[in-house]
Order: sequence, then C-alpha cells, then structure tokens
Amino acid sequence: MKPDSITPEIFARLVSLAALELTPEESEYLRTELNHQLAAVQELSEIQLAEGVQPSLHGLECQGSAPRPDAWIPFPNPTEILKQAPDSEGGYFRVPDFSRGEVSE
Amino acid sequence: MNSIHLSARQIAQKVRAGELSALDVLEDHLRQIQTVDGAPGSLRHERLNPAEEDKVHAFIEVTAQRARRQAEQVQALVQRGEDPGSLAGVPVSVKDIFCVEGTTTTAASRILYNFRPPYTATAVERLEKAGALIIGKVNLDEFTYGSSSESSAFQPHPNNPWNTQRVTGGSSGGSAASVAAREVSLSLGTDTGGSIRQPAAFCGVVGLKPTYGRTSRYGLIAFGSSLDCPGPLARDAADAALMLQVLAGMDPKDSTSALAPVPDYLAALQEGVRGMRIGLSRDYDHITYPDTLTGEMSIQAIQPEMNSAVRDAAEVLARLGAEIVEDVPMPNARHGIPAYFVISRVEAASNLHRFDGVKYGYRTGTSVRGLSELYRATRAEGFGLQPKLRILMGMYVSAAQHSAQYYQKALRVRSMIRSDFEQAFDPRGAYQLDALLTPTTPTTAFLRKAVLGDSVLMQYSDQMTVAGNHAGIPAVSIPAGLDPLGLPIGVQFFGMDFREDLILRAAHAYEQATQNAEWRGVTPQALRGSEVSA
Amino acid sequence: MKNYEIVIGLETHIQLNTASKIFCACKADSWGAEPNTNICPVCSGLPGVLPVLNAEAVQKGALLAAAMHAEINPVSYFDRKNYFYPDLPKGYQITQFDEPIGKGGYMDLQMPDGSSRRVRIHKLHLEEDAGKTKIEQGERLVDFNRCGVPLIEMVTEPDLRSGEEAAQYLTQLRQLLRWIGVSEADMERGHLRCDANVSIREAGSENLNTKTEIKNVNSIDAVRQAIMEEAKRQIEAVEAGRRIQSYTLDWDADTGTLRKMRSKESEADYRYIREPDLLPVRLSAEEITRVLESLPELPLARRARFIRDYQLSGYDADILTSERGLSDYYEESVRLSGGAAKVVSNWMMNDLSRLMNDTGKSAAQLRLRPADLAEIIRMVEGGKINPATGKSLLGKVEAGGGKPAEIVEREGLGLIADEEALSSQIAAVLAESAAEVESFRAGKESLLGWFVGQVMRRTGGKADPKRTRELLLEQLKR
Repeated sequence: MKPDSITPEIFARLVSLAALELTPEESEYLRTELNHQLAAVQELSEIQLAEGVQPSLHGLECQGSAPRPDAWIPFPNPTEILKQAPDSEGGYFRVPDFSRGEVSE
Repeated sequence: MNSIHLSARQIAQKVRAGELSALDVLEDHLRQIQTVDGAPGSLRHERLNPAEEDKVHAFIEVTAQRARRQAEQVQALVQRGEDPGSLAGVPVSVKDIFCVEGTTTTAASRILYNFRPPYTATAVERLEKAGALIIGKVNLDEFTYGSSSESSAFQPHPNNPWNTQRVTGGSSGGSAASVAAREVSLSLGTDTGGSIRQPAAFCGVVGLKPTYGRTSRYGLIAFGSSLDCPGPLARDAADAALMLQVLAGMDPKDSTSALAPVPDYLAALQEGVRGMRIGLSRDYDHITYPDTLTGEMSIQAIQPEMNSAVRDAAEVLARLGAEIVEDVPMPNARHGIPAYFVISRVEAASNLHRFDGVKYGYRTGTSVRGLSELYRATRAEGFGLQPKLRILMGMYVSAAQHSAQYYQKALRVRSMIRSDFEQAFDPRGAYQLDALLTPTTPTTAFLRKAVLGDSVLMQYSDQMTVAGNHAGIPAVSIPAGLDPLGLPIGVQFFGMDFREDLILRAAHAYEQATQNAEWRGVTPQALRGSEVSA
Repeated sequence: MKNYEIVIGLETHIQLNTASKIFCACKADSWGAEPNTNICPVCSGLPGVLPVLNAEAVQKGALLAAAMHAEINPVSYFDRKNYFYPDLPKGYQITQFDEPIGKGGYMDLQMPDGSSRRVRIHKLHLEEDAGKTKIEQGERLVDFNRCGVPLIEMVTEPDLRSGEEAAQYLTQLRQLLRWIGVSEADMERGHLRCDANVSIREAGSENLNTKTEIKNVNSIDAVRQAIMEEAKRQIEAVEAGRRIQSYTLDWDADTGTLRKMRSKESEADYRYIREPDLLPVRLSAEEITRVLESLPELPLARRARFIRDYQLSGYDADILTSERGLSDYYEESVRLSGGAAKVVSNWMMNDLSRLMNDTGKSAAQLRLRPADLAEIIRMVEGGKINPATGKSLLGKVEAGGGKPAEIVEREGLGLIADEEALSSQIAAVLAESAAEVESFRAGKESLLGWFVGQVMRRTGGKADPKRTRELLLEQLKR
C-alpha cells in the first residue's frame, strides 16, 4: 500500500491556505477522500503524450465576441450591491481588521 | 384537460392561439406541485417527515407570484394580438444556481442562504422574454458539486419520482425531477461533467448539454468555468429543441459565448436519420475504475441493461435508415474522470474564493479575533463537505510544486479527449460520424445514501458523460427504456461543435419510432397515487 | 570601507485613462466619488458574473509597449492570481502572468550631467486594480470603486544605480505617459504608483544579492529619498556583518523612515491559472502595424530634433518638450513666425509661461493660439510695437479674445516712429530738462537712457525706442 500523498501535515496546510477550518472528523473524512481522488488521478502521470500536445482550455477553439468598445455605462442600482453586505457603514463594506499575528498587507 | 399532460409545444401553441389561458396552465402546475412535491428544501434540517417519503421535493422556492405576473402579461399580449413569445405560458423551473433578480439564489448552500442578486442570468432573461412562466428555483447538489443532489444544504433533497427511495442524480436533480413529475414542462439546468444528462437519465427525461459557449453563462454561479453549460431538460426532444432555440446565441456579457449562427432546431428535427452515420464505441460499454489505494485502473462492467438499450436504439435507428458504424475507437475516454478531478477542482477552488463573508451571503456569527478568522469561520460554517473537498483538491493540484504534474498534464489530456471526437467526426476521416451513441450512465438510479460518502464512486457516475464537457461538444440523453426494477435507462448522443440539430434529430427519430413502446406508458411512482387524468 | 553599488529595479503601476474599467462598463476614474457608488456586479465580485475586456485598454497597452520599444505580443493571455484580501472581491486578481502584452524594451534616461543611461524593461502587462481599504478603530472599511480600473504593470530590469536615476526614470515615464495619452500619470491621485526593489553589491560585482521591496512611495521625491535611505541601511548592515533579509518595507513620508511590513520569505503561492472566462488577447499584424504607426514623435526624439534643427540649448529643449501640448504649440508658433525658433523659444519660456501660470491653463487650453503669438512676435520684431506692448498683448488676447493686430489698431498701441510726432515730444523733454542737457553735452553720455525714459513717459511707452534714441542724439549733439 502506497503511503498517503496528503499527510495530516500537508492537509493542515491546505486547509489553512484555503481559509477553512475543520473538525477532526471532517478532517479525517476529507483527507481520506482526497487521497482516494489522488489515487484515481495518478493514472494521468502514466499517460504518454505525443510531441506537441497543447493544453486545451475550453475543448473547442472558442471564437467568442471581440473585446467591447470603451464606454461608461453606470450600473443602475449600486446600492443594491452594498445592501447585500453582512455589515456595512457609511457606504463601506465593513470587516474586522487582521489581528496581530495574522498575515497583514 | 389538465395541461400537465401537454408538451411545452402544445401549451405554447394553445396559449398563443388563445385556446388556453396561461393562468390556467399555471394553476394546473401549482396544483401538481402541491400534490407531489411535499416540503421545499430548506436550511432547517427538520427530520424527514415519514409522510413525505414518496414526495419529490424538487423545489427550494416556488415563485408563484412572479409566475402569475408573467402569466397575466402573456394573456395581455395575446388579447392585444401581440406576440407573447415562443414559450408563452410554458411553466419552467430554474436550477437554483442561476441568479434571478427578485428571488433568493442559494446555490443550495448556506453560504448564499440570503443572497438576492441585483440582476438576472441571461438564460433566464431569454426564457422570460419568450413568455415562459418561471415557476420556481429547484434544488441541486451544493454549488452543483455532486451526482445525486443529496449534498444540498437545503433538505430534504429531491427524490427520484420513479422510486422515491432513490436519487434523482445530479447536480440538476431538482430540474430532472420537476420535469419527470410534471410539475413543470421544462427546466433550466447546467452540465459541467454530466449534471444535466445523468439526472435526466436517472429520471427518465431528455437532458441536453449544448456546445460550450452556445448558451450564455452570465448569471450562472460558476463551478468549472471552462466546462459549465446551461441547457434544457424536457420530456421529449422537440420540447428540448424549443427551449434551446430560446437560449442559444451570443451574449456580449459572456466573452466565451459563441458567435456561431443558431439554426432552426425544430425544423431540423423533421429531417429524419436516413443516411446519418451513428457510431458505437467499445470504449463506452464499460468503465475504467481506479483502486483508491493503489491507483491501479481496472475494467468494470456497467449494468448490462445499459448496453442492451444502446444496441436496441442502434437497431431502431438502423431500421429508420441510419448507418451504424461499429467499433469507433475513443481511447482517451478512460481518462475523462481523472482529468475532470483535476481541471474542475482547480476552477472550482478559484471560483469559490469570493465567498468570504465580506460582501454578501453568510458571515459567521461567532466572535472572531481578526479578519483571517472571519474568513475561516465563515467558510467552515457556510460550506458543506462537497465544496470543502473540491477546494482542497483544487488547491493541491494547482499548487506551484504540483501544477505541472497534475493541472498542466490534465489540460493536455483534455486535448487528447477532444482529439478522439475530432477524429471520429472528421468528415474526411475513417468514421465520418454525425453522432456517437453511448449509454448515459454506468447504472440506473442508486439508492439514497448508497454512494454519498464515496467521492470517487460518486464522480464515476459521470464517466460516460464527462468527455463531452472536456471536448466542449454537445450531447443529449434520452430515455430508452426501464430496467428490471422499473428504473429509467438513458442513452446518449454526442455530436460535433454546434450540431445540436443533428443529435436532436436522432433523438427525435428514435422517440417517434418507439412512441408506442410499453415502457413509455408506465407512470412514475410519485405520480401514481395522485394520478390526475388527462 | 568597500565601494558599494546600489542595484535598483522599479515596478510601476500605471492607471490607464480609458473611459471605463477593464472588465466592466463602470467609470475608470472615480477619484472623489462616494464609496461604492462606481460599482457593478462584475467589479464587485458577485456570484455568476463574467469579465468582458475593454478594447481600448488593449490599444493603450500596446501603444505604451511600442513607446517603450518593447515587443508587442500578438497573443497574450489573462491569468488568475488567487489570494484572499478584502479589497479583492473575487478572491483573485485578473492579470497577465507568463504571456504579457509586452516584453523587453528600454528607456534612455537623460541625466542632469548630460549623460544618457539605458534602463531595460523586463515586461509590461495588463491587469485590474483592487479596491481601497481604510483602517479605522480596528476595523477595515472597504470601497470597491477602484476595483477593475485598468492598469499596466511595467517592471524594469535591475539597471538603475541611484535614487537620482530612479527619480529621473519616473519623471521621464510620467512625461511619456501623458505625451502618448495613455495615462494622466498623476502620482498624487494614484495614476502612477511605484515599488522599488533595492539591493547592494560590491562595486564591480555582477551578482544580484538579496533585495528588499519598498512600497507606498507616493511621489518622485519620496522614491529618491526612500531608495537612498534603504541603500544606506543595507550598507550599514553589511558593514556590521549582518545579513540582508528580503523584507517588504513601507515608506513613511512624514518621518522619512522605512518600516518593515512582512517577510517575503514566505512567498504566497498564487496558483496562477489561465482565466477561463476570457479569450486570448489577439493583435493581428495589421493592428500592431497601426499601433506602431500611430506613435507620435516621442519626447526624446523631439528634444534631439529641437536641439539639432532649432539650435536650442539642452535646457530650453527640455522645457519645450516637457509636455506635448506645449511642444506642439511651440512648433506651430515657430512655423507661423517663419522659423524664428530662438525668439519664439524666449517668448514661450518667459512671458507665455508666466501667462499659463497666472491663468492656470496648459498651452492647449489657452485662448491665445500659436498664430496669435506669431503675430505679436512679428509686430515686435518689425518695430510696430515695443516689447512691453507685446507682452501686454498676450494677456489682452487671452482675457478678451480678438486678433493682436486688431487690438493694437483699436487701442492705438502702435509705436510712434513718426519723426514729426517724436520730434515734438523730444523738443518738449529737452526744454524742461536743461540741466541734464548740459550734463550730457558736458560728457555724461549715460544720460541718454534717461532722456529716452522721459520721452517714453510722455508718450505712454509708445515711442519707438530706436528712433527716439536716434533723434535724441541728433538733437543733443547739436
């Protein structure tokens, strides 16, 4: 049996990078599933690719619309956007500041 | 006559002709919802009411008032002799992954439990402009992550109308169920790895994934931005064509939406399959499944009814004059799920970054010491297990030290999957196909809770459908019979870029030729107790 | 003590002066607007929205690349840079990571001592701006007005060697950006932002040592100062045997000091991926040609031409190419004055410049057009009016409009050169200044100027000075 690619240490770091926090039960379950998925994905590394196979970004060659002309069109009700905020003040979105020890700017 | 027994085409035609009132259509369908749906999905996880075991639970929110206003508008236009639209009076449900102004758009997640978007998705706008009645938002897997709709934060999740002990499939489970249960005529779903086609197959309805870019993604809360396709679910191919006609076309708000001209899909249906080259592939009669400890892949049989349904369908089409092309090689089909695990998760993780409790939706109520803790607590409490799983996987395989091995490699494998289809459909190639016929799923609908804990097994439910998303091509799943347990079997047609007309043609021809088949007369379980006469 | 060399690379963020943002139709410049009033679902990161590229941002980016002699990439890609921050609503910034719109290029710096130093450009790319945060009492207040403003990020190679050179680079860059019309480049309004990467090494070494990054320098002076402070700090540290660590430093303009912000050792992994919601940016060969052809003559080239063709001094040429409007005004005036380059130059650098200061207008905004200036100069040179009148005409035309010649006519400002008129004035002056006349005749010839002044006084300044002198002399020497 192969050792887990995602050890509890690596897992904990991923959780932190993802701005998540998990209970021990969730952690074990998710870590197990991640390792199963990685096992399923291992076969990708065994595939031999012919010379010059390019990454495909959308499957087909996307030929969508050209960039738009430069015109200012104000959104009719920006207040509706701010209204969705869990906390706001004086027209600003409001959040607590980073505490000491957390990553700051 | 109860309009729930009419097709969308028939409803539209009668409403436009003034023979049927959109308001009556609305009432018929609201009554049906009342009869078969039971409690809508909600965040309060009440114990599942045993009296509702046989209910469909397709909806999160029924938007009766909105639908009534629309019905009134349609009637006003009809009365004035003006064009009420090609979908006039047709009841439509919308997967709650589409932003619709005036509704709550939840993505079936706590993290958006109260989100009221100040704008409406283009796909929904087009439906409303065509006179459709938006009956409500239907349930789905949380953020469309899953193949059973069980992972919704809004419980109870939808049940399969054919057997309510079984899942609808997912993620467009509510869409498929609401159409199968005659609560609506049509539903707007999304397909990223099979999320329209697989639930359509499980629920015995038609589900079409259009070509990538054929329908606008503006307003669709994104899962896999390079894979997501909004599309129709309906009870027959012609209804799917009618709905696609309204949805298709370039949208300046979506840079990936296609400029390709939109043909007349309904007219195309009539052309029949004589001379159409329809392929069969051995690479689609089994699945290649990994050992989750060693990673070793092995061939596994699929439910035998699936393959026989495909063979039977091929025979029907051959009798209609189609040319069946056997043994078309699709050697990269087996890489579909592994590549999907990587690409879709990378995009999902990035797309979920914006849910942080700052601007909208859920913010943690616990007192936090600082902003980082706000992020963590909000996302921990707001997201269910499936989003968390996708985020973690996505971040791992796109990390700087792993990206080449996983993400960059998967993107190249995606090219290979695409090239299988290019070769099969090449008009100067060895096979020159117009369509490829395959099973839609490896199994019929599984039992509730049977697969939910196993994320790999769950994903493999999409092994037959996912190649279409990698390649960007269109594909449609249609009902092709019932298995010995009476569960629907689906078969799938893949087509080439922007040739939805060809695959709908094949689907329609098959439907017409089998319209008297015994299995078409069977009523789904959830509708039997309250059978409303036509 | 060893001889140290300072090694500096600059990263500038340039706000493009398009009408709308880079991925949505909100206004590009919302300076002074109330918070969260210039936003839409796209730039505030609502679920389900999609970016749509502004064609003009691409054009301006390509134009700047051309002006910096960079290679314009015919196909460039947008990527997502993923990280969490409250002023980044999507949780990722759309930028260009490995296939930017421009690669390579250079700028030649004109140093004050007359030498020229070439600074190479590594790359320039398009990206969207983030919002603004203000910190108040332990809370962050976030404003998305600025989210999505189109930026060009331009990174130099570590070719600069002093705070002075860095300042010169920024000065010339600012001039260039305004010259080709891609940015207002006003550092106080954040149109031009600069981060400096600073390291030191022993003179003669080719190594690149650990560098620190200085952020939040909001003026050219601050850049100069901050770099020199940091270089000094690094030299002191190295001399004391300490190791340089790669910190990010914040410049406090009030105290003139640098403050450590965070260690760059734990560099974030941004997990760059191609932006799936956008297509590659394609510029056809024809489009690239058109961009190159639309490049105006650039400041340095024009400066060289002015020196060569108009025989202007380097100093004068600097001023007359500092701003495109002024420069075009100058050339037009020279053309209309029949080629009087030096004379026009004097007028512009002195009196016209004063007029512009007084009225607060740029050359292009003046009511007084090159044709008017040329006319005034012609009248002065031709003796029709005296220089003082000419200067006053500048103001008159600017204030009330009208053609200079007409004003002269109307207000009777023409020089009096008529012998009879002058003679009578001269006679009057001599009559009332007998003592001075005697002094002059006795040898105090310097009094001539005084006599001229008296005639001027009597004629309200309109006597032709030359003719007056001549006639005075005739009279006095009798």
